[in-house]
This record gives sequence, C-alpha cells and structure tokens, in this order.
Amino acid sequence: MSRRCIVVDLDRCSGCHTCTVACKFENELGLGNYRCDVIDVGPVGTHPNVQMYWLPIMCQQCENAPCVEVCPTGSSYRASNGVVTLDESTCIGCKSCLTVCPYSDSDGRTRPSVRWLRSDTNTVTKCTLCNHLTQNSDGVENEDDTYDVDHCVPPCVHNCCNGARFFGDLDDEKSPAAKAVAQAQSQGRAVHYLEADGAQPVACYILSKDVAWQGLDNSCVLYAKG
Amino acid sequence: MYRETREEGFMSKTTLSRRSFMQAAAVASAAAAFGATLGGCTKPSTVEVDDVDKVQPATEADAETSGRQEPLAIPDYDFYTTSCHGCITTCPVKVYVKDGVVRKIEGHPAGAENNGSACVKALNQIHTCYSPRRVLYPMRRTGARGAENMAFERVSWDEAIDEASDKWLEIFEKYGTYSMLSTTGGGGAYVPAPMLPAVSASCYSPNAFEPGAAQCFLPRVCVTQLMGFKMSDSIADNEVREPFKGFSKADKEAGITNDCEVLVLWGTQPSSSQTAKAGRAMAELRANGCKTIVVDPMLTPDAAKATIHLPLRPGSDCALVLSWYRYIFENKLYNEQFTKYWTNLPCLIDPDTLLPILATDVFEDYIAPTPDDTPVYICIDEETGEVSPLPYGMPEDVGVNPSVFGEATVNGKSCKTAGQYYKEEAEPWTLEQAAKFCWLDAAKIEEAIKLYVSPHQNGSDGGAGIGHGVATDMMECSSQAPIGTAGLDSIMGYIQMPGCTLTLTGVGAGGPGGGMGGAGLSLDSTNKWGKCIADGAQPRPTQSETTDFGIGYIMGATEEANRANHDSFASPEQDCFQRIVLDRLGVSNHRGLAHWYQSHIPAVRQAMETGEPWRPRAWLDTSGNKFAMLGSAGAWYNAAMGNVEYVVHQYPHFTSFDAELTDMFFPTEEWLEMWNPGSSQLNIETPCGSIIHLGEAVDTGRPYSRFLQAFYDKANQKLDSIVFNGTGQTLAEIGVQFPLVNVRSGSDESNKQQRIKQGAALLGLEAAEGESITEEQYRQAWKNNPVYKVSTPSDEYWTYGHYLVLADDGLPYGFPTVSRKVEVYCTAMVRLGQTGFPYNWPNGFDSPVDERIATFHGTYAPICVVPKAKETPDVGAGFEDYVMDFDADFPLALTSGRRVFFHHGTMRHAPYSRELYPVPFAYINPATATEYGISDGDWIEVSSRRTQGSDYDPSRAGTERAYSGEKKQDTKTAEPIRTIAYVTEMVAPKVVFMERFWNPECFDNSQKTKTGGWAECGVNVLTNAVDANFNEAFGSYTNRGFAVNIKKSTRPERVWVTPEEFEPFMPTATNQASEEAGSVMGNPALLTDVSSFDPVEVPASAGGPGGPM
Repeated sequence: MSRRCIVVDLDRCSGCHTCTVACKFENELGLGNYRCDVIDVGPVGTHPNVQMYWLPIMCQQCENAPCVEVCPTGSSYRASNGVVTLDESTCIGCKSCLTVCPYSDSDGRTRPSVRWLRSDTNTVTKCTLCNHLTQNSDGVENEDDTYDVDHCVPPCVHNCCNGARFFGDLDDEKSPAAKAVAQAQSQGRAVHYLEADGAQPVACYILSKDVAWQGLDNSCVLYAKG
Repeated sequence: MYRETREEGFMSKTTLSRRSFMQAAAVASAAAAFGATLGGCTKPSTVEVDDVDKVQPATEADAETSGRQEPLAIPDYDFYTTSCHGCITTCPVKVYVKDGVVRKIEGHPAGAENNGSACVKALNQIHTCYSPRRVLYPMRRTGARGAENMAFERVSWDEAIDEASDKWLEIFEKYGTYSMLSTTGGGGAYVPAPMLPAVSASCYSPNAFEPGAAQCFLPRVCVTQLMGFKMSDSIADNEVREPFKGFSKADKEAGITNDCEVLVLWGTQPSSSQTAKAGRAMAELRANGCKTIVVDPMLTPDAAKATIHLPLRPGSDCALVLSWYRYIFENKLYNEQFTKYWTNLPCLIDPDTLLPILATDVFEDYIAPTPDDTPVYICIDEETGEVSPLPYGMPEDVGVNPSVFGEATVNGKSCKTAGQYYKEEAEPWTLEQAAKFCWLDAAKIEEAIKLYVSPHQNGSDGGAGIGHGVATDMMECSSQAPIGTAGLDSIMGYIQMPGCTLTLTGVGAGGPGGGMGGAGLSLDSTNKWGKCIADGAQPRPTQSETTDFGIGYIMGATEEANRANHDSFASPEQDCFQRIVLDRLGVSNHRGLAHWYQSHIPAVRQAMETGEPWRPRAWLDTSGNKFAMLGSAGAWYNAAMGNVEYVVHQYPHFTSFDAELTDMFFPTEEWLEMWNPGSSQLNIETPCGSIIHLGEAVDTGRPYSRFLQAFYDKANQKLDSIVFNGTGQTLAEIGVQFPLVNVRSGSDESNKQQRIKQGAALLGLEAAEGESITEEQYRQAWKNNPVYKVSTPSDEYWTYGHYLVLADDGLPYGFPTVSRKVEVYCTAMVRLGQTGFPYNWPNGFDSPVDERIATFHGTYAPICVVPKAKETPDVGAGFEDYVMDFDADFPLALTSGRRVFFHHGTMRHAPYSRELYPVPFAYINPATATEYGISDGDWIEVSSRRTQGSDYDPSRAGTERAYSGEKKQDTKTAEPIRTIAYVTEMVAPKVVFMERFWNPECFDNSQKTKTGGWAECGVNVLTNAVDANFNEAFGSYTNRGFAVNIKKSTRPERVWVTPEEFEPFMPTATNQASEEAGSVMGNPALLTDVSSFDPVEVPASAGGPGGPM
C-alpha cells in the first residue's frame, strides 16, 4: 500500500496561508471551516534573540488511523490507494473522529484542528489530499495540464508560494514527496513526524538546520494570527 | 467577540492536553499527543531522519478493512492563461471557467518568478470579482454626504458622464482651471497608470497626486536614477532582477544559475508583500545558499529566515547606513578600483557651490581630452599629493591615481573630496553609537557588514547587493536613505555584476540601450512629456523614455543641444505646461516631486482646507480608498467634506471615500474582466484578455477618458469664460483649448486590439493578408492553451558590465549622469535643491529651497545624512542633533508593513482574507504589554498627536509650509483607533506594528447604522501628513516611525472579527448595489458575454499616443 502524503519544508514555509485559502476554494469550505492551517511557532526567546517558523498542518495520514476505526458510518475510511479520507455525504457529525484524532480539537471548532466540524452542514471535513483529483497521480505535475489524472497535485501544493509543499507516495522514490525527503536526508536535515498516540503519521516535516524545532510545547503559538 | 474566541483558542491547549491524556489512557498509548505536549507534560516524540525506515507501514489488511474506491472528480473547466493584477507583480496564472463563471485560479508554472505559485490575493480575486458588494452600474449620490446618510441611485452611463461633466464645467467657469484635482493610487489592477498626472495637466491644472509616490517608490527610483542607474534598488517593484536569476524554467533549461551570495533586504519584506513572486524568489535564494541580512524592526518571515536580522528602531535607518560607511571606510573594505574610477567620490568639491570643480576652472589652458558632454573634474593625485585633472575614461587611460579622501587648497579655497564629505558625515556613527541610536547590538552590525562585504573581500565570482524597500519612503529620510544604500553598493563595486542588485538585464539583446534602457547611455535620457504636448506633438528625437527630466532636457547633453531641443517645442501650450509644472503645490520646496509631476499631498490638503493659494473643488479619483490610504486621514476628511464641490470616483467597489464623499461613481472592472497587459516576468511573457464580464462595469481606462472627453467638448465651447489661473488669462486669450496634453486611456478599444495582437503573436496566430486577428479567433486559440514565450533567450538576457562598452566617442558608456560616473555624491540632488534642476529646466526656481528644510549646507543632501526625526521614542542623551523631541505622552514608535492578505487598500472585502486577518493586529512586545496592562487578544486603542489635538509650536515644524497656527480640528475624526493586541517578541519593546486598514463592513447594508469604516482601525488616522518633518526633496510625510500611545479598550461598533460575520461578503450573498436579486456569481442577468460586451464607446480622440508613465 502506498504512503501518500504532503511533505513540508519548514525552511521554505513563510506562513502565507496560500495553502489554507487554496484548500478552501478547491473544497468549497466557506467561512470558518478549515482543512489545513498554518501555526505560528514562536517567536521563541526574547527580542532580539528570537527564532520563529511556521508549521502547516493537515491530516497527517496516519498509518494507524484512529478516525477510521471509530467512525460509526464508515464516512472516515482508508481509500483503496491508502489515503485516509472522508465522505462528508454520509457523516452524521457524531464527533467520534474528533475525539480520537490526536491532531484535532475535540469539538472541531477551534483552530488549529486537522478535522473540522463544519458550521454550515454540521459534518466533519478534513484534508483528503484532494483524492478526488489526485488518486491516480504520481505527484509529478504536468505543467501543461493541471487536471492530468496521472499527475494532478492538490492546489495547496501547486500554489504554495515558497515551494514548501511536496505531494506523493513516500514509497515511490520518483514522487516529489519522496524526493524531498531524500534530498533532506542527503543534506543532513531532520525529517520529523508528529508522532502521537501510536498513530504513525505519514505526513512529515523537513526541519531547519538553523532554527531549532520547538516540538509542540508551551512556546508554540497555536492560534493563526496571520 | 473575537477576544473570547482567541481565549478559547489558547484554552484549547489545555483542552487538548486533558483530552489527549484521557484518550491516551483509554487506548493505553504512551506516545505523546499533538496537544498533550502543550501542557508541558510530555515531550513530543520525534522520528528523525535516521528513523525514517523504522516507521512501520500499515498493513495491507488495514487498507482492505476500510478500503474503497473514492470517486474521481476531475472538473471539465476551460482555462485561460493570463496574469494576476492583485498587486504589481503580474504573476502569470491560469484561470478556470465553466458556464461563464470563474471557478478556480492557480499559478502558471512557466511564470519566471512565481514558478507556479499564486498567493492569497490572487486566489481571492474570485471573491473580489463576484463580491456582493461589487458596484456594477454607475451610481449617483441622492442624499447628503456622509456615510451615515449613504444613499445612491443607479443611473445610465450617459447620464453619469453628462451630469458629471456639467458639474465640472460650472466649477471651471467659476473658479478657473486650478480648481481641478486628479488623484490615483493603489497599485494592482485598479490604476490606469498612464492617466496621472496627465489628467490634471490636460485640464490646465497643476493639482495631481498619488499617495504611492513620495511615500512609495518615487524617492528610491528618483535618487538612484540621479545617481546614474536606470533602475532603483527596489526588489519589490520589478526593478531589481538579478537575485531572481536562475530559478525559472527557461533559465534552468539554458543552464543559468543564480550568483547572489549575499542579499540585504533593507526595509522590505518580499515574503509578505509579493509572496508568490519575490517571496518565492527569497525561498529559492535561501535554498540556493544565499545569505541574507534583513534590516527591519519587525520579525518578518524573511527576517525570521535571515542569516542576520537587524531589528532597528523604526526611523533610524540613516544612522545605521552611515555606520556601515564608517566601518567600510575605516577598515578599507570598499572596492578601491571601482570607487576611484567609476564613482565621483574622488572629485574635489567647491564648498560654495557644493559641486565638483572643473579642471578648466583651475588649470588655465587645460584642454579636456573628452567631448563637451563629458566634463573633466579635479582630484588629489595619490602619488603626488597634488591637485590634478581627473579625465573620464578607462582606469588605465586616465593617467592619475585619484584619492578618495582628502582636502586640498584650490583657487585659494579649502576643498574636500566628495569621499571626504562622506567620511566626515559618517564619523560620529561608530558601531557603538549606531547600536545605541538604532537599538541594535554593535557586534551584530559588525557581523552584518562583514557578511555584506565578503563577496568582494573574498574575490568571489558571485555578488551581493542591497534590495531597498518602501520603509524609508515613508519617513523623513526618504531621499537620504536610498542615496546611502545605493552608494554602499557602489563603493563595494556591486554594480552590473553577477549576483548584484544594481544590475540591468537584456542589454545583450538590444545593445547597450536594450532591456531596461541600458546602463550607459548618457545621451538618450529624455522627457516623456515630449510626446504629450497636444499641439505640435512630435516624437522626441531620441527614443528611450526612461526619465522625466525637464522639458526637452537630455541628461548629459550639452547646454546648447538641450536648449535647441527645448526651443523646438515652443508654443503657448508649452508655456502653460511649464507654468503648471512649477505651480504644483508644495513643489517649490520639495522639488523632487517633479520627477513624477506630483503635488505635495499635505499642501493640497491645506489648499483644500484654507483655499490658499487656490482651492481644489472638482476631484476625480481613480484609486481605492483615499480616506484609508492618505496620511492623517482625519485631517483629509475635514478638509474634503465641506470644501470639495463635486467628486467623481471610479473603482469596482464602494470604499469609505464613496460612503462619505463621492457624488458620482463610475464602476470599473476587476482584473478578470480587463484587457489588461499580460505578464512579462523577467524574459517570460504570457498573454491576457477579458475572461468574464459583470454588469456595466468598464475597464479602468474608459470612464475617466470618456468623462474627460465630454468635459473637453463642453469646455471648448466656453474658452472665453475659463481662466487659466497660472496667468490669469482666459484660455481664449491665450489661444489654447482642451486638452493641454493627451491623456492615454488605460485600456480603450484600441488597447484591446493591441492586447489581442500581442496575445496572437504569443499564440503564433497569423492573420490573413490585409486582415487582423479577430477576437473570436484569439479566444479560440487562447482557450486551454498554456502558452508562454521566452522574449529574450536567457543567455542574452542576463548580461553585465554595460558601462564598459565603448560608445561612439570611443569612451566607455559609463553611467547616465553629468560626470558619466556613478554619483555616490549625487550632484543632481545639490542642483535640485538649488534650482529645481533637472526637472524644471530651463525654467527653474529663482532661489534655493528654504534652508530650514535643507539637510546639507543649505540644499538637498547628495549623500546619506541623518535628518532630524519629528517624533521618536526616548533615545537617550547625545542625539539631540537627530531627534526633535520626545513626548512622554506618546512614548512608543509605530511601524508598519504589509501582511500577505492585502495589497495597499485592497481585499478588505475579500472574506477569505478577512477571516484570517480581520483587523490590523497590533504587534506589541510582552514587556510593553505588561507595562500597559495589556494581554494578548485584548482590544486596545492606539493614539498619536493626530488624535489628541495639536498645540505644538509651528516653528518646530520643519518646512516652509509649517502649517503655522493649524490646530487639529475638533471633530469625530480625532478619536484614537482600536484593534486587537498581538503580544509577541516579533517586535522590540516600545515598538508597535500595525498594517493600514479600513473596514467596509461599517457601511454594509447589514448594519443598522453606518460609518465610513476608515476611522475604526485605520492607521492613517494616526500617521503624520500634517506637521511632519517632510523629506526635503520629496516631501514624504511620516507613515512610520512616529510616536504613539496605547491603552486597553473595547471592540468598536460594526467591526467584524469572527469568520461567520463576513458572510455578507461571500459571493453567495445578494448584490447590494444592483436591482437584480441573487448573487453576482450565479445571476445570469449580471453575467455578460464578454465577446459582445461594449457598453461604453470611448471617442478615439481621448486616446493619445503618449503618456507620462
């Protein structure tokens, strides 16, 4: 089974929220609903000796996805290409997935939260890697045809203003995601997973060599203030 | 309230922790949860690079238990390649359409700089275009002015044009031509740049401005041009290009790589300002190994990622610049060869004229070896210590080794070299002194300087340079700071070299005059107005329209040649034109405004208020929101509301300006609708075109040009009753008629044909013999075509050393200055202050500028000096020469800058921007917040002297126009503004950062009562365009680095903050200003077939061949 995900280079991300907004347009989320978001991390330290970076978050594509296990309607499921996805049309808004997802607010209404309880439909929404577009894609974009089913990428990846997001199957060495990880490894940069509760996320973050990873302790600012 | 939401946001950390722990217990997992670590209870587990392979893949069984095929849903959209006009960078984008409605926008992968990126501003164009608050028909005010009474009715275009032109004619007949004012601004899609200031000039009026001139770009572009560069060192205005090299598809295919080793971002923030383009370039540069130094009070994204961040005190830039000079001079780190032979620093300066001394004035019978247009100055020969001629030429040919520093007696006077002046000016600014004044660490400054000079010191193949941003344009030092930074690059020899910012492109393609006009053509700089003079208009004898010097004046040509050139234009129109150039308000002191033919904005406001020397009464504005974007907005409100008789405004949306003031509103298109110019990012070109159309909105070029034509037609029947205030004669007596100059409309019908022609060329369409490509043919070829064109092959585009190319006279081209060298000591600034040269040549001012505003021996500073700051926080003792006063009532310094969500005044009605950035958060350091009892998320008020009433001694104001006796009017506009505090270490203690703002929701129909929405959160209520120390050369007022105070407050009425509150701005809502029910996006009545849409025919005569910009 493939390990499809988004890889983010934290040295590149500048917190511009293009991913947030591109996702809202693609998935018609309306106001106040989010499938992806960006966390301001820091500044850590005391001015002028401070460090700061931005941490985009989205469904971490857990290998042991608790959301799939607890969903009473099968709305949260692992698609045949391995992507942890969600069918909003059958979601009953029971919040079970919100309760078990280690990356979500339990009410799905407070940012940041990778699963979100929509205010308009009272159903849960979350990043599906735009599987409706990308399920057959190798992640290598066709520059002449965005909707080439063999090469389509999520709009958050395509439009990323800093080239910080990479999509694809980590097990496919030709995918941009796998290449980004390999390049990071060759440069001695750490590749970090937001491991939690044994969920084994596939999404990963290429850390900076210059700016210290802060974990997610008290110094994190967990509200996207722009 | 937002604050409550924020608190919940922070509380959620604990919520997450608690829940995660419960969950962790329940599932008996010991691993740390995302949220669990927030309480500091457990350490996040990290799977580092070495562990990648240890992650256990999910079993096939996992997939099989829930696996099912998700339906593929590839939309059947058509797309068009065009360019975003959400800011000024014109990123190529693809726009997807279905059933006549735009569904999606994305970056075009072939974009030379955006490389496929599109920022939130580009994406949000869908919401802006289909906003239920779009105004789609001409509207006439039906009630009293003021937002509280806001009432408009729909009128036809014919009615609107007819009525507005009648009203203007009445005013002209009653008060003369100087009663007219035209303004623009805003950038992006909304500015028909060619119109200003030609519109006012066409009406024989000198009154014209845009706030984005003296406060944005004009100072930098003017001084760098006068120093000898045909470009500025602005990285954000499509000027600096070299740092962007090597990242595009075309460059990669050509094997071109980037050479930028060190880049200094001085008061600029590409990642926030022009995220998809310059921000993308910064990401690529850093990934490429380029080291960056960011000089900015704010921890911008680029600062956070910089090698060295110097968070200087707002407003202290020039002191820091001079500390770099001092250190570089003292430690001999500069490029001696370039400084000696290609800058004018070795020239000996006459202390009386402040200009270089000619060899012929010292050595009798000296015969210059160079032509008349290339002067020979004198220097001190380092070998002999004697004064010697310094001929122009290749270093090996000039026969002298000039000393950069020194003093010598010449004709009985003690004279210093220009370099000596610089050295002495920099002398007080040791690293320690600069650190104290700028609130920096001396060691950090030193580290930054060493990094900056390292490519030169190391003899590297790569280069360095400074990208100078808008920050200093908004302060007292708007001329001195960019003179300083461009001079730094010059003494380092970072000029026209790989990796250096001050390097032109494209020269190889078209010879030295190609690309951006070439670097070395001292003989082809001419005046764009040459083509604008209506009567007897003729093409200039030279073609490169890159500068705006005096009528007929060519920089570097002899006096005789220029005189002949000037005289060839002699006519009554020329006389009128020269009169209005000199009569621009405030220009007599701030003479650099003539570079873009601007009036001094505070002087116009004062004229509006007092009627002296004349009152602007008929106002045409084409920008977004003058009440939000002009400094000292409260004073503008007071000046305009009762004094301007008739206001015409064109824009796609109602702004505060309309809610309060506009009498007749002309609706214009958003960029998806326009036949706007396509994109030419670096050497890549993409086509453009009108993709959709809504209602009766028209291209930005059409309303004003059609309106003006109607006005000219009527006014030309009344020439005997319209007075030209410049001479007091009627136009009939002078023998002239309207228009004085032709106004080029932004995009009229002929322009559309031009775009089709350009696009067709890109698409490879060829018309049949004797025919042209039709719109239908173009659309068919354009649709679903990702076409782009490499206009100049990359290996010809990136070229260097243009100044060394030999010109016709056998000498190297050099630089377009009088000396033919880089004028690090900018003699043109000296002359500008003395006579207005070169802009008003030959009819300059009779006397030098008021000595009270001059910062260098009675004239404008030709080098970087530290001008006195009007308002500062407490900087301690010892800096009395540089600081006017400290007021304990306003102990904090406000600084500003863009956030990613907005460009200038745009996008405040774009719901996806506003939900992420609902108010202009005030970034405040925790120490300051504690001192003021403010917590993160609190509503606070921010005040300045503009909100407190002014009782200051006018003699302390720095200009002739001291606005003496002026008191802050006691009106509703004097209230402090309010916003939400963001307590963060991103700024220093005593510094407040806020983005400018306005709140269109305040006059939304969903409100019970309305306001104009500019005073609630608008930083420009606080800025100082009233009694600031206006920059000497450009009159720039103070938008940053002024003094403010803060205190805890409450949320203002009407301001929206939670995402749900912005629902009325979603395109699903019903349009507010149309009679049809339903949303704009889904309403067939409002969707117009682009190919048949042409509601406004602009008479051909309104479009002239030329334009000033």
